[in-house]
Amino acid sequence: MIGERWTAYWFVLPGTVLLAAILGFPAIASILESFGLQGGAGPAGGYAALLSDAQFLTASFNTALFVVCVVTLHIILGLAVALLLNSQIRHLWFFRVVAILPWTVPDVIGGLIFRFMLDPLSGGVNALAIRLQLMQQPYDWLGDPDWAMVSVIMAETWRGYPYPMLILLAGLQAIPKEQYEAAAIDGAGAWATFTNVTLPSLMPMILIAVVLDVIWQCRLFGMIYGMTNGGPGDATQNLSLFVYRQYFQFFETSYAASAAVVLAAVLLAVAVPYIRATLREKD
Amino acid sequence: MIGRLKTYAKLGTALLFTAAMSVSQQAFAEQVTITYSDWQLAQEGWGKSLRTAIGEFEAKNPGIKVVTEPVQLGQRDVRFTTAIRAGRGPDVFALDANPVRQYISEGWVLGLSRFAEAQDSAFFDDFYDTSLAPVTVDGTVYGVPMNTVAMGLVYNRKKFEAAGLSGPATSWAEFSAHADALTDAGAGQWATTLVLAPAGFDLRVPSIFHSFGASFLTSDWSASALDTPEMKAAFTYVVDLIKSGAVPPGVTQVDANGARRLLANGQIAMTIGTTWTIPEVSTMNPNLDGWNVLRIAALPTDGGRKISPHTTLYQKSLFINANTKHPEAAWALVNFLTERAQMERWFDDNNMLSSRRSVNETYGPIQESPFASVVSQEIQHGTFLPLIPEWPRILDTFRQNLQDAVTGTKTADQALADAHRETNAILKASGN
Amino acid sequence: MQHRRGFWLFVGTALLIMAAYNLTPFFWMISSSFKTDIEVTSYPATLLPQAFTTAAYARIWDQEGFVLYFINSIKVSGGTAVLSAAVGIFAAYGFSRFRFQGRTALMAMLLITQMLPGVLLVGPYFKMLSLVDLYDTHLGLILAQTSITLPFTVWMLKGYIDTIPVEIDQAAMMDGATRFQSLIHCVFPNVLPGLVATTVFSFLLAWGDLLWALCLITTPEKQTMTLGITNLVGQFRVLWSDIMAATVIGCAIPAVFYLMLQRYLITGVAGAAVKG
Repeated sequence: MIGERWTAYWFVLPGTVLLAAILGFPAIASILESFGLQGGAGPAGGYAALLSDAQFLTASFNTALFVVCVVTLHIILGLAVALLLNSQIRHLWFFRVVAILPWTVPDVIGGLIFRFMLDPLSGGVNALAIRLQLMQQPYDWLGDPDWAMVSVIMAETWRGYPYPMLILLAGLQAIPKEQYEAAAIDGAGAWATFTNVTLPSLMPMILIAVVLDVIWQCRLFGMIYGMTNGGPGDATQNLSLFVYRQYFQFFETSYAASAAVVLAAVLLAVAVPYIRATLREKD
Repeated sequence: MIGRLKTYAKLGTALLFTAAMSVSQQAFAEQVTITYSDWQLAQEGWGKSLRTAIGEFEAKNPGIKVVTEPVQLGQRDVRFTTAIRAGRGPDVFALDANPVRQYISEGWVLGLSRFAEAQDSAFFDDFYDTSLAPVTVDGTVYGVPMNTVAMGLVYNRKKFEAAGLSGPATSWAEFSAHADALTDAGAGQWATTLVLAPAGFDLRVPSIFHSFGASFLTSDWSASALDTPEMKAAFTYVVDLIKSGAVPPGVTQVDANGARRLLANGQIAMTIGTTWTIPEVSTMNPNLDGWNVLRIAALPTDGGRKISPHTTLYQKSLFINANTKHPEAAWALVNFLTERAQMERWFDDNNMLSSRRSVNETYGPIQESPFASVVSQEIQHGTFLPLIPEWPRILDTFRQNLQDAVTGTKTADQALADAHRETNAILKASGN
Repeated sequence: MQHRRGFWLFVGTALLIMAAYNLTPFFWMISSSFKTDIEVTSYPATLLPQAFTTAAYARIWDQEGFVLYFINSIKVSGGTAVLSAAVGIFAAYGFSRFRFQGRTALMAMLLITQMLPGVLLVGPYFKMLSLVDLYDTHLGLILAQTSITLPFTVWMLKGYIDTIPVEIDQAAMMDGATRFQSLIHCVFPNVLPGLVATTVFSFLLAWGDLLWALCLITTPEKQTMTLGITNLVGQFRVLWSDIMAATVIGCAIPAVFYLMLQRYLITGVAGAAVKG
């Protein structure tokens, strides 16, 4: 097949060109901006300043903590629910729709709603806890730096887990039934079938789900913006919020771009081994 | 001969046609469309007043059509800066005092002195000098002030009477005593709340610091003044007030809206606010009977001394986008919306004071209002927050450190010292 | 496969727990959307509305122009989902079935484009749109959303296509089918579950976007739903019951779409492979 070499490019061309046309100029402009080449603090001044910026360091730590917790919970919950939904139980359509519902809440709005639920006075969480006599006084969840972080992680776990769940559910559908039948004939139990058949076949999709979710959670903005706006203090401020504030509230465009490029570089360093592993051929 | 006539006729028709074309083109050029964006358009009451005013403006100026673009306050700068950087954006827009210096220093707004002078050499004389300060750089005026108000203490008379108090405190020590008398946490009653979330922090909490005689920056805005004894006293007072339990739980998330809601629901007895607080709180809960129950007083001061300035000023001004293609039409709109007659109606509709001295000093309803008379007195004791491009960043650093002291992440002393150090670092980095 | 009754009991209970977990915040949303403005912020909070009112829904329906915002959002989200699925499946097929120069680099590049936050990209993108006069249009917004969803779509779809045995296309091509035909007739039906997952993903991403819609759309009549809801958090009043009511409807729309799509999630590979 002589033409095959070029056929490949025809398939990938439209997508690549579309992306380059839309994002090419903005991406180059932001990277130039980060070096202060469009006016501003002079070449690379922003990068040096970042290292001594306590807020930036806190935001980096918060981002790392947040992403690790959220992605872990997402994959565990997502896999569990995907497995449940892969069964042939009655009224499955109902559970399938319910399973996706949290994800239909736009993330900024999700943040607002969780803020409202956790409101010490008019929120449902305290109202329920007091009614069940779990506590006497309303507690200010989002006013405590540690609880605020836990709350943001819980909220994003709730809203975002249908995403890996759906990736994995579709992945489960692709595992040929013959493999299960073969395992059944060998007399494998449920757990053995899961570890020997399901998990290995699903591994590529799990890897993809992890990579995509990590990128996704690193960029997360709306949920935290709507829920705590980074507070109390800077306890829940992540890098996206940091960049947003520098850019739009403080008009420090070059500095914001430097922070964003650092985030991108770190993300790249973390993601490349995963991308390689995902692309590695089985043969 | 006939051929010649025909030629003339043709020529004539062509000329006529061209003339008609140019006339119609001119008519087309006379009908201009300008866009007006204002966060108050997104608000029910204010939006209605603005749209009525704009309707009147269009009726008076048949050649100009105004398209309104509501935007939420918190999203305003995101939308404006993105559009203006790309050479677009609304022709006329409203800003509060906070971001004005950035817009001017980035060259995003037109200097208005030439329009004003062409119209009336004394155009700006009617405006308070205080109001012109934020919109003036190097002698050029960049915006026309519309409303100026000072912050005061809005209190619920009934709650004060029920607690056996004759009126609001004049010193912060007395305020603390009142706070004890007005708080009954078990019954869901608290004395007050403070706005510690970003939306509304700028006007309200800094007023307390001003009323202790403290400033955020040195008088030339070149260095932090957060290490003064007045600032330390004020900072400790605020942190202690919150820790004393005089405010409902959740204070770090309370924004200006949240504070008004607590006042409307009768959960708190007083809060820092101004003339607009009265209509807003009254609409939130009609059962409160806000126009009769609420009153405004000057803020307490440290030891009840006469301190000036002791409060913070809010101002809304109108600006013309430097990218506009119709500066004359834009000016006509700015001029119309800030005219005396409009400002009087603005008070009738929204209980808001004008930036024009003549309106506040001679308009009957303002003189008779128990709210406006107090606030217009307070304008002369008010100050704007520092008018430098670094200010939003400095204010937010300060706010976050204050929150850290409130949540106990840092001690009050440590938080203030950190804010002081970080403020100086910000000012140093920008080369001031 | 035969399972014991205990197994079904376990699965059923677990699914019910999942449903309770997912629906609790919705319970609060729906309950709040039927409360009056004062009750919704009262203390102590009520779990169910004391004075049941549909005023919030009425306001959303007639005053705020939400019907229009919902239609705009469906347009933008639908456009994004269709565009990224259509372009994405070709690219994914190319990346999955061919080994060509620059393949890994291109795949990595796709993800790298997603590492810069939108905050930085939106400004220059606005400039571009302004040059070609696409700013303040839904098309401009759809293209922006597609630039975010497309890389994710390609990665996800490539993962699914990888699981379909190459023998299926080879068999088709032996019978004289072109690459394109084998994609449409052999790969497409088998990759339907994955396609549903990616379409839902793209749709919901565009559905929940705030930043791009905020910056690119200025005409109020072209606003999207998410932007409309955040506008209810005003300078002077947060209309909690209205926010809740709009969110409830805002969630119901994609849920209905998904309800229609979800049966394609079970078109398993094995069944189609037998046919092939």
